[in-house]
Amino acid sequence: MWYRSASFILDKQQEENDAEGKPESRLLSTASPSSSMADTLQNPNPQISAYYQTRAAHHGVVTTDWLAQAQAAVGRDPDDGVSEISIISTDSGKQLSVIDEFNNWRKQPDLAEAVAAIRALAWVIRSSEATTMMELEIELKKASDSLKSWDTTSISLTAGCDLFMRYVTRTSALEYEDFNSAKSRLLERAEKFGEISYKARKIIAMLSQDFIFDGCTILVHGFSRVVLEVLKTASQSRKLFRVLCTEGRPDRTGLRLSNELAKLDVPVKLLIDSAVAYSMDEVDMIFVGADGVVESGGIINMMGTYQIALVAKSMNKPVYVAAESYKFARLYPLDQKDMVPALRPIDFGVPIPSKVEVETSARDYTPPQYLTLLFTDLGVLTPSVVSDELIQLYL
Amino acid sequence: MLTMALYISNQAGLRYLAGDISGGNARCIAMLEAFQESIKDYSTPPEKALIRDLTAKINCYVSFLIECRPLSISMGNAIRFLKTRIVKLPLTLSESEAKATLLSDIDRFINEKIILADKVIVRHAVTKIRDGDVLLTYGSSSAVEMICLHAHDIGKQFRVVVVDSRPKLEGRLLLHRLVRKGITCTYTHINAVSYIMHEVNRVFLGASSVLSNGTVYSRVGTACVAMVAHQFHVPVLICCEAYKFYERVQLDSICSNELGDPDAISKVPGRKEINYLDDWANRENLQLLNLIYDATPSDYVSMIITDYGMIPPTSVPVIVREYRKEHLWI
Repeated sequence: MWYRSASFILDKQQEENDAEGKPESRLLSTASPSSSMADTLQNPNPQISAYYQTRAAHHGVVTTDWLAQAQAAVGRDPDDGVSEISIISTDSGKQLSVIDEFNNWRKQPDLAEAVAAIRALAWVIRSSEATTMMELEIELKKASDSLKSWDTTSISLTAGCDLFMRYVTRTSALEYEDFNSAKSRLLERAEKFGEISYKARKIIAMLSQDFIFDGCTILVHGFSRVVLEVLKTASQSRKLFRVLCTEGRPDRTGLRLSNELAKLDVPVKLLIDSAVAYSMDEVDMIFVGADGVVESGGIINMMGTYQIALVAKSMNKPVYVAAESYKFARLYPLDQKDMVPALRPIDFGVPIPSKVEVETSARDYTPPQYLTLLFTDLGVLTPSVVSDELIQLYL
Repeated sequence: MLTMALYISNQAGLRYLAGDISGGNARCIAMLEAFQESIKDYSTPPEKALIRDLTAKINCYVSFLIECRPLSISMGNAIRFLKTRIVKLPLTLSESEAKATLLSDIDRFINEKIILADKVIVRHAVTKIRDGDVLLTYGSSSAVEMICLHAHDIGKQFRVVVVDSRPKLEGRLLLHRLVRKGITCTYTHINAVSYIMHEVNRVFLGASSVLSNGTVYSRVGTACVAMVAHQFHVPVLICCEAYKFYERVQLDSICSNELGDPDAISKVPGRKEINYLDDWANRENLQLLNLIYDATPSDYVSMIITDYGMIPPTSVPVIVREYRKEHLWI
């Protein structure tokens, strides 16, 4: 039996419990109120990547086993769960509530993580009592730092925060005589960012149409909203193409993508993740999304992307990446282990003996030499241009 | 004029000749300091304009320096910086004001582009050193030395393989400094680099210059080390200040290289029995080639660490372009 999303259901149960226990606590709790400030700013469960949990919740198809496991995990963690929160009016309370605000936004499946971060930062501006640009900047810096440290595994969260901070520091108060107009200008910008995010997907979908030709076979990996938009636009413009979907273990995001594509009447074939090399000869191009685009021009994406890119390279198939420009991050991993580990639970369906180690990393790094082109809202870029854009943005 | 030329020769030129100053940064700083001394003593001759006359003087010193030893690219960039500063001096300034401006400009250049840049490079580079890593370096780079020492200071556990080569054996100096600080080191010659590479996690190399196509211009032997590292899938990190970037493109090591003393490779000190080449100069059919630099293709470079952050070798032209802009308004 399949559920739409495990953590969604867990959240709901939690909310119900919360409502029974303490009707005034409006937000999902993530930390116990008794812990010190340092603790409250920490992710309650650093062992598990919040970013990938959310993705799994939004896009994954989850089995009952997984649900049971997740439930058990929640039960085991004494800090987590149904404990209520009281928002303290001190500094730590404020930073905590940024995270809550962010988590609120993050739950919307259509909203990108970076946009959620920027909305949360906009909320900080709105509720700020600062009277000068400098104060506001310091306050924002604190908020964005606490957001970033809350989930260090999420690249788009970090990139979103950095991007917005960059905008704030560039829009100096000098340009606007009056502090209030500067503030409202910033808020306006934050609001606009959400639209830009939607628009970016449309732009990327339009740009990629030239590359999808009639009769082609496209391999996709994982569930990416941008890739779905690309394929949707292609099918709407009456292109004839076939899609091969990998299963996308362990959260089975590929299954969800194949469901969506079937709704669009696109011929879809599902593959298990290990069948990529077997099917590669019938593939014309590979489309993947990205969790983050790094400075080298490589991408960090769901586990399995690297091996698909390797297979594609050895068979001379183009690998296209669809990613919005706010996923560009100032990171430069040298190898697979040179990243903050993002872990998540994996369900093997059978009990695993405790002596057996399990690789639970959720993502891998694909170096730029295995990528052909990146479709972004800045245009169709080769991997080496990414760094140029980043330099122009941040220097 | 004579005193100024003497300054230059005392400060920098003769010491180059003697090989006292080596290392791109040290040479560049010494040259700039010599320029500062000569600017301090400068007075505009009657009926001449400071801008023109001083530029001519600087040109004169530079040609003297070139006679001592060909300029490195970093020095060329620094000279160009100084000349643009002189040309951009407002005509309304008095001589003493103009001199003060130039002196402070040179100070700023040394501080911002060399000393602070090194600090930034060190800060970036230590993030790429993990506990238990084995680092490899070739020759003696001041930036790499600072990185190792800083990483050691902040308590990272790592080992350094210092690879060296004849005839300069510069690695020994670096080795000496690292060992003195208590860093575990391995010393080997470049002949053994393919053996040692399999246990290495990161290769840190210095550079004399980085060219626009990402080619790294550095001490001869660097290309070999980088190529072996690439073959073994070991990331190669080049540590280079952005003022050493150059907009020129070079495809091989031979053009615009510098020739060292051929005797340095023909003789092995302390081994009389193998000095078969003692009379090489009299032979017509023998030429010795002692190159100082070589060019490492960008394919072998994983990352360049500069004061602008960590960038791929393909982004060097962007930095050169942005840096140019800055050059004009500093």
